[in-house]
Amino acid sequence: MCIVKSMQNKMKYFKYIAMVVIALAICTTISCERDDICPESTPTTPRLIIDFYDVSIQENSKNVFGLVAVGVGNDNVLDGYAIVNTNNIILPLKTDSTATQYIIYKEYTYDDNDTPDDETDDVIGGNPDLITINYSTELVFVSRACGYKTIFNNVTISIEDDGDNWILSRESINDNQSVEDETATHFNLFH
Amino acid sequence: MKQQRTLIYFTSIIVMLCFNVSLNAQNDSIPEPTKVNDSLKFKDKYGLRVGVDIAKLARTFASDEYSGFEITADYRLKKNLYIAGEIGIEEKTDENSYLNITTQGTYIKAGIDYNMYENWLNMDNMIYSGFRLGLSSFNHTLNNFTTYSTNQYWAPQFSSNQAQEFDGLTAVWLEVIIGMKAELFNNFYLGLNVQLRGKVTDTEPDNFTNIYIPGFGKTFDSAGIGAGFGYSISYRIPLYKK
Repeated sequence: MCIVKSMQNKMKYFKYIAMVVIALAICTTISCERDDICPESTPTTPRLIIDFYDVSIQENSKNVFGLVAVGVGNDNVLDGYAIVNTNNIILPLKTDSTATQYIIYKEYTYDDNDTPDDETDDVIGGNPDLITINYSTELVFVSRACGYKTIFNNVTISIEDDGDNWILSRESINDNQSVEDETATHFNLFH
Repeated sequence: MKQQRTLIYFTSIIVMLCFNVSLNAQNDSIPEPTKVNDSLKFKDKYGLRVGVDIAKLARTFASDEYSGFEITADYRLKKNLYIAGEIGIEEKTDENSYLNITTQGTYIKAGIDYNMYENWLNMDNMIYSGFRLGLSSFNHTLNNFTTYSTNQYWAPQFSSNQAQEFDGLTAVWLEVIIGMKAELFNNFYLGLNVQLRGKVTDTEPDNFTNIYIPGFGKTFDSAGIGAGFGYSISYRIPLYKK
């Protein structure tokens, strides 16, 4: 009698442990499938940071008024740079090319002649300057969730001479300037 | 409510354990019967037990992204002590918006299992705990990737479809295993186990990382910890009885 009871109890114990083990196995498999989302705070592909300085007193930061930045070949104005007063600009670079061009307007004005639907009679005022940024790209592995980022080496900026440039000169912070992160300024432009 | 359930959960464990102990004690108090030659003395079977992991087989059939096969084996050394090991091959594709990687490789795990379950009469079940040392040799193929950028002014970003190989990778890990094996019918066993792993070392590929290690499983960016489970069917080749 006692031995039968003991056996029944042991079988119960056995079943009970089996249940725990199964539960554990299920828990592990579910919890291990973590979402692989790249955190916003992870530094990935950096943008080019440019500061504006006064051409006459070169250590003085100087604001550009009515600045507009438009990428050449892009239909949209760069986000955050639609007529702003600023002493710096942050430009995203093309990762699938070794050159990126921007038209940067100073004192930009826009008049649609009271016909918002008709673009032909629109008058765009201000001083546009075309800058070309040349570089070589390098792929750097970040993490499983973020994959690869592109960093930019040997970055140079050239300002196209249009006879009426407002950007008068440029200066990289380092020789062989690279854009590896967004922690510091990469170029200074003088106006 | 949840707390109450947890309480019941733990209380039942304690009650069950106590119950068991008291029964054992009761058994002890029974006076030894006069010694007679017991013709019904049960002998334990010793031999090599070989099986396959059916969880991996099922996953191979269910998923396009995974294929794997594992042979498990153990050999009974003493009444409750087994040397045990697994050998397997895995191929897995991991994909997210920015990466598509196929991992291929083989692994071997070796260690011991210790049976903690006291069988009654001629039953031959196991509730065991053990450890393994795992070794894996594998490679990654980066099938395609797209540069990650938070700014999408110049979308789409650079992407490449040129397959890139990361060869000759190895990993070593330690594993703690708990599980059970039940004899369904003569010499046929059904087993279930869970494993918790800690990575000892692995070769880091150049400008890449080990996304998945065959035998170890998915890796995590922050810690070298992995987990898994196995579900095996095995057959014991009986060699002798003791």
